[in-house]
Amino acid sequence: MTALAVALSLVLSQGYAPQRQGLDPLEAEKEARVMRLGKQLRCAVCQGVSIADSPASMARAQLDKVRELVAEGKSDEQINAYFIERYGEWVLLEPTKGGLNAVLWVGPLALLGVGLLVIVLQSRRRPAALVTAPAEAAPAPSPDDALLAQVRADLEK
Amino acid sequence: MTRVLGPVIALSVIGLLVFVLAKGFGSDPHAVPFMLSGKKATNFKIKRLDTDEDVTLEQFKGQPVVINFWATWCGPCKMEHPVLEDAWRRYERQVVFLGIVFEDTEANTKRFLAENGHTFPQLFDPKSTVPVDYGVSGVPETYFITRDGVIKGKVAAPFSDPRQLDPLIGGILQ
Amino acid sequence: MNSTLGYGLVLLGLACAAFAAVVGLVTGMTRREGALVWVQRAVYGFAASMLLSNLVMVKALLEHDFSVKYVAQVGSKATPTIFTIVSLWSALEGSILFWGAIMGVYLFAFAWTYRREHGRYMQLALGVMAAIAVFFAFLIAGPANPWTALSNPPLDGPGPNPLLQNHPLMIIHPPMLYLGYVGMTVPFGIAAGALLRGELGDAWLVPLRKWTLVPWLFLSVGIILGSWWAYAVLGWGGYWAWDPVENASFMPWLTATAFMHSTMVLERKKSLKLWTIALALGSFVLTIIGTFMTRSGVFNSVHSFTQSDIGPTFLVFIAIILVFSVLVLTVRGHLLVAESHLETVVSREGSILVNNLVFVALTFTVLLGTLFPLVTEALQQKKISVGEPYFNAMALPLGLLMLFLMGVGPMLPWGKADPKVLTQQALIPGLLGLVTLPPVLAWRYAVWAPLGGGEKTLPAFFAALRSGDWMALATFGVGTFVTVVTLREMFLPAQQRMAEQKETLLTALVVSASRARRRFGGYVVHLGIVAIVVAVAASSAYRVAAEKTLKAGEAMQVGEYQVRFDGLAQGKEPHREWVAANVTVISPTGAQWQHHAVEAPRMNYYERSNDPIGSPLVHEMFFRDVYVSLRTYDGKTQSATFNAWVFPLVGWIWYSIPLLVLGTLIALWPQRKPVAQVKAEVPQGAATGTT
Repeated sequence: MTALAVALSLVLSQGYAPQRQGLDPLEAEKEARVMRLGKQLRCAVCQGVSIADSPASMARAQLDKVRELVAEGKSDEQINAYFIERYGEWVLLEPTKGGLNAVLWVGPLALLGVGLLVIVLQSRRRPAALVTAPAEAAPAPSPDDALLAQVRADLEK
Repeated sequence: MTRVLGPVIALSVIGLLVFVLAKGFGSDPHAVPFMLSGKKATNFKIKRLDTDEDVTLEQFKGQPVVINFWATWCGPCKMEHPVLEDAWRRYERQVVFLGIVFEDTEANTKRFLAENGHTFPQLFDPKSTVPVDYGVSGVPETYFITRDGVIKGKVAAPFSDPRQLDPLIGGILQ
Repeated sequence: MNSTLGYGLVLLGLACAAFAAVVGLVTGMTRREGALVWVQRAVYGFAASMLLSNLVMVKALLEHDFSVKYVAQVGSKATPTIFTIVSLWSALEGSILFWGAIMGVYLFAFAWTYRREHGRYMQLALGVMAAIAVFFAFLIAGPANPWTALSNPPLDGPGPNPLLQNHPLMIIHPPMLYLGYVGMTVPFGIAAGALLRGELGDAWLVPLRKWTLVPWLFLSVGIILGSWWAYAVLGWGGYWAWDPVENASFMPWLTATAFMHSTMVLERKKSLKLWTIALALGSFVLTIIGTFMTRSGVFNSVHSFTQSDIGPTFLVFIAIILVFSVLVLTVRGHLLVAESHLETVVSREGSILVNNLVFVALTFTVLLGTLFPLVTEALQQKKISVGEPYFNAMALPLGLLMLFLMGVGPMLPWGKADPKVLTQQALIPGLLGLVTLPPVLAWRYAVWAPLGGGEKTLPAFFAALRSGDWMALATFGVGTFVTVVTLREMFLPAQQRMAEQKETLLTALVVSASRARRRFGGYVVHLGIVAIVVAVAASSAYRVAAEKTLKAGEAMQVGEYQVRFDGLAQGKEPHREWVAANVTVISPTGAQWQHHAVEAPRMNYYERSNDPIGSPLVHEMFFRDVYVSLRTYDGKTQSATFNAWVFPLVGWIWYSIPLLVLGTLIALWPQRKPVAQVKAEVPQGAATGTT
């Protein structure tokens, strides 16, 4: 098979970012750590994608850095600290839990808790305590209102 | 009481929401924070494209350094090229200029430099570790480093006029 | 010429909408019903002028009339015709113009459907919808005008965004989403109209429900197609990244789904009125916030269009509709008092309440996570990211809970459940759910672990289970449980008929289904959702990945499959050039599938983009996909680096679309139509049951 002579004018004239290979993966256990850490770090040039997922060249370079640091025996905290030192907390796809960020983690749970409480309290309340509902403002169904008749029919199911 | 409370809470939540969204207009969502300002610049050792000799940051200790990250596939970088050459001519004796090629092939870069001419050293970083060390978030980006090797600031946009560099270089000349 | 005509039509549309809004709201409030016909005419006029304006734009695009600003911005003579038409919605101004056309279609359809009946609310409902139409027509006429005439038209344009040209799904995904987004205007109009009028009888409920179901279906299909597109184009096998714009489409979907459930409680128990109406209003507000996110340039997203100045206009509009919604709910709140009482949580209505709570909590999580970076920046001047790990951590448990409720809810009776009956009913589905676990565990241990790079040792196995695998397992178990419950609920009435009336299975099924279309249709949709959830769990927990550089003729192993590299190829099309790495996928049984040239993993080069845009190869099978992405190639040495994955069950996410469509159509089918018409729909449901 002959070498592919690139004969495409755009490829030659315009110049594209060449796609390069990353460093060779480390041994399985360490590489799994690289990928796990990579999933948590935001690629500097992409749209909110992690460096483990992004095909961008910058992401590859950043993932290689993670590999390098893992190979040097750095801990997860040290590796995160390396990236935070350069890109700020922005680089963490999973925000920290301290300070104002606590709202992010506690807020939804609080909503869920309060909601459950309300539902349970509602069901505990004696039906007698319920004020009789005021008469509906809707006019009495007239025989010619076909739609209303249909609703009634629907409801009887 | 509850008839008033509900709507008041709802309206304050709306106010907060609109406030937060409105605040968003002031900022660029694509801007990546830059944290290394005032920090010691990481040393590197990569080779010069024209002479193949190794260049380190440490060898310029005592001199202010301007580092430009760029690539031939980046249009704004190519437009910036003559501007940086001009700036270099103005500060030739006072400041060290270095170009670091980001994610490009040696052949492409050499061809571009041969066609467009260059003066200050251009360095080639095959694994792109230097840009990551410096917190680069795209090209072109230009870093300004003081005599003590401290990063004074960076500009994450192309320069269109050599005079735009004056205040920044002034800052690292002191 | 085109630009004058197109702009004139926009102005005409704006005038019609303004007329309909003013007349509709004023005469509606003063109860002069005679004016309805004028409101209807103005709405028709709005619809017609918006549609025509869009047609003129398509004409201008096809003619390459670069004197129109928008055409100069997105058009190119080299773009294939189909993508030229699609570029109508490929950039900001065009997408808002297209939005106007869809708005016209919805308003027309609504006004036409109820042209004779239901006059009481029509004026106000149409008036509110027309007021929203005024806003969009104003956007098109002013801040986002695509029709500006250029005095020095360029000879050719850059063409639309390459990402949009790369896949045919891009032709249908945006219109589906727009149909979903814009359609939420109608339920908002109905609910707001009924509230303004102060007549909250049953008569508004049926149109409200039906006109929520329509955009809900489009939104569902749009979201799924969007994830399919991301999967087939972006090249890393992901289909959902919690991107701000994905979130924006997900939020109204969640609230609309919650609405569909709470409306059952409203009809049956006459309670949850305020809540249900708030959900209907909220779904619309969330679509507008979503649109704001895409169009304002405040959010960093794959979808965001370039910076634009329509953001502030949108923000004012958001504030107005929010304040309006709160005020109208406050003023009319006394009409929304519950007429019945929740006896126990362990009942159908109780389960729906919990379901609604989970939906709302999830919506809140998504909204909070999406907006939070803006909050920290405003309050602390600190940029943070809220990404996939956060959303997965928060949303997946809620999703699992929702799946569980999908099984429990249908078993519970209205009112009060008898614990004995309930246990009896839950026994078989629950056992079947548990029975699925051992085979999955065995497969995981013996087949997947060795392939997936994991170790085939018991400690490694348990460690993986602890670290998150249990969620996937739970999903399979609960998924089976829900499927069994749902199928039983679908076929139980038919079974009874067969016993009592001595009917055949088919007749019994058709009759029982058509007697309770919403119930039956709803269960069909549930089956589709189960398919999606199971597919998401399987494809994220049990994927296999590999990366390798191959010379021509060499092969790499990914999961049970082999991917052989057959050499490089190149090609040229008018709008792009590409380099492909021809591959052959070889199954464990030796079957070979060749994927060469345009079917191979490729790098595409577009004039408008600096980075080459990859297209992966997706070799689809029913139970798994083999996904191969070209990372780099070297023409000199004839070598290429590939990323390859095997994703189990991933296709089920998109295969669920027919179930969702079928279920929704069954539920929407008008009750009064003869049964014969429904017949054609049902046998498919029957087929799933008999297998």
